[in-house]
Amino acid sequence: MKNYLVTIIATIFASSLSTIAIAHHSAAQFDFGNTVLVTGKVEEVRFANPHMRLILEVTDDARGTRDIEFEGHSRNNMRRQGLMPDMFTVEDTVTIRIAPMRNGNDGGYVTALRTPDGEEVGRVTAAD
Amino acid sequence: MPIHLFSIRTGILPFIISGLLLVPAISTAASNPPDFSGAWTTYRGNPGAAGGPSRFMGGELNLVPAAEQARQDFISVTEGTNHGAGNSCVGGGMPGSMLGSGGYPMEILQRPEQLFVIYEAHNEIRRLYIDDEAQNPDDFFAERNGYSSAHWEGDRLIVETTRLKTQVDSRYPHSNQATIREEYYFDESLTDGTRVLAADMTMTDPLWLEEPLVTTKRWQELSDYHVLTYECTEPVWLDEMEVLYEEAGLEMIQE
Repeated sequence: MKNYLVTIIATIFASSLSTIAIAHHSAAQFDFGNTVLVTGKVEEVRFANPHMRLILEVTDDARGTRDIEFEGHSRNNMRRQGLMPDMFTVEDTVTIRIAPMRNGNDGGYVTALRTPDGEEVGRVTAAD
Repeated sequence: MPIHLFSIRTGILPFIISGLLLVPAISTAASNPPDFSGAWTTYRGNPGAAGGPSRFMGGELNLVPAAEQARQDFISVTEGTNHGAGNSCVGGGMPGSMLGSGGYPMEILQRPEQLFVIYEAHNEIRRLYIDDEAQNPDDFFAERNGYSSAHWEGDRLIVETTRLKTQVDSRYPHSNQATIREEYYFDESLTDGTRVLAADMTMTDPLWLEEPLVTTKRWQELSDYHVLTYECTEPVWLDEMEVLYEEAGLEMIQE
């Protein structure tokens, strides 16, 4: 099985759209003060409102290989950031930028992503 | 006496004449009101202007103790969780839909007898029934956005909303006795000509508010903008279908 890197980059970057996330439910469990980049293989993706859902197969040294579920911005907001249908699909490898869980568990809130072709939705490179 | 009558007539005459002149002016304004149709987003002010104005101006929510307790109860059962009206695809309701709507744009479609306000978030729709199109609000069930009757006063659209539901799950909690008055008008355009729509809002609630909530909300027009639909409930149904098919041992053919 191919290894996938989990790159963690802490920044003091708060997405301007985080307030929209908060509008739908409490976002207290997410640390919007940090940016974490995660690369993994798409197991399931659902671009929906009020929040997208993405399950990636991720491997890192600390916890090995496992499926991690993420949520993220609404389909409408992702579309306005550049998301197009069929940009990627199951089995593709993508990199996402997330606000990680405050409690250190797997998961987080997706604020941007990079497709296998290098297309970006949101500002993934801003944290690189 | 004739002199007296004459003096009365000459005294009234200017008012009669000016009144006759005013009637057509008022009628013209009422029969040819401004068109608020278009896509609108929260006011950001002139491009490059330092320190834009706030989302809305003024507005302090002073709840009576019982209402404050109701709000705290709601917070205590939802804080730190994924539970929330929006997460369940339920719109904010008035006045939240008008004052916030999650930062999403809104679209207005205007007909002489009705004005539709479509908030993109949750596909929340308000129908503002104008003049005779409005019926007796008491004949309708309470809803989160209430029942809105409207009329023109010159270039301003006055909207009275009643039949609201009691809402603790709102940034602006209120009882079902709350009433909301909105006054829509075009404000000063931006320097590049972008139109600005404003609404003065007053929410009165004899049960939950110590004093009326008074605020002004502004929007600026979005040109060449594509307001989207907001499909939200389908995933819940798809999850239900998936369970049904799994329990039946059948393959679900739907994406």
